[in-house]
Amino acid sequence: MSAFDRYLHAVLLAAEAEAREDGSAAMEARHALLAVAAQDGTEPQRVLAAAGLGRAELKAALDREFAHSLGAAGVAPGAFDLRATPDPGRRPPFGASLRLALDRMAGAHRKRDLTPLHLLDALLQAEVGTVPRALGLAGVDRAALAARVREAL
Amino acid sequence: MADDDPADALAAVAALRRLADRLEDSAVEQAMRTGWSWPQVAEALGVTRQAVHKKHAKRLIAAGVTLRRRG
Repeated sequence: MSAFDRYLHAVLLAAEAEAREDGSAAMEARHALLAVAAQDGTEPQRVLAAAGLGRAELKAALDREFAHSLGAAGVAPGAFDLRATPDPGRRPPFGASLRLALDRMAGAHRKRDLTPLHLLDALLQAEVGTVPRALGLAGVDRAALAARVREAL
Repeated sequence: MADDDPADALAAVAALRRLADRLEDSAVEQAMRTGWSWPQVAEALGVTRQAVHKKHAKRLIAAGVTLRRRG
């Protein structure tokens, strides 16, 4: 197993736990981004932290996006009791947004060239969807952040 | 609803689906904790008993909820 394979495996395991905790039917790009931010001592974590984005800040931004998007439909998430016990043994499948990011990464680079930053790059390339909306609402210049990741590659 | 911005409308659809999923988890757990049976929960949700059982049984057993088989 290469260093990148080990990194990807760790990220996907953490993303799975994020999806479970979130009560999400599938592992999505937003869960992978949280997982990337939580991998201590890695280059993607350093790049995100330099932009003020730790796991907690990203989680808060994603929660704001959820509330904001529900608000567009006139729904306040605080109006509902969403407490539910997660299934500790559930293995959420890959969701469409995560699959797209992984395909984007695999399509743009040879497998042996991949590094952890390539995964962050792929997650930041999405122009629509939950992740770019959350970053936008948090006042993050996604294009500039993506450019910094590209420079570091 | 922000009719003039498709991005907001599409994001609202995605968020409402997520909300509905989480609300289902919460409401089914609440019902089963208060003694509802699988057939009752299924009928109230408008889905089959098999579907609701498959989706929630393992989670509720892990949560220590006492499950009633019949209505």
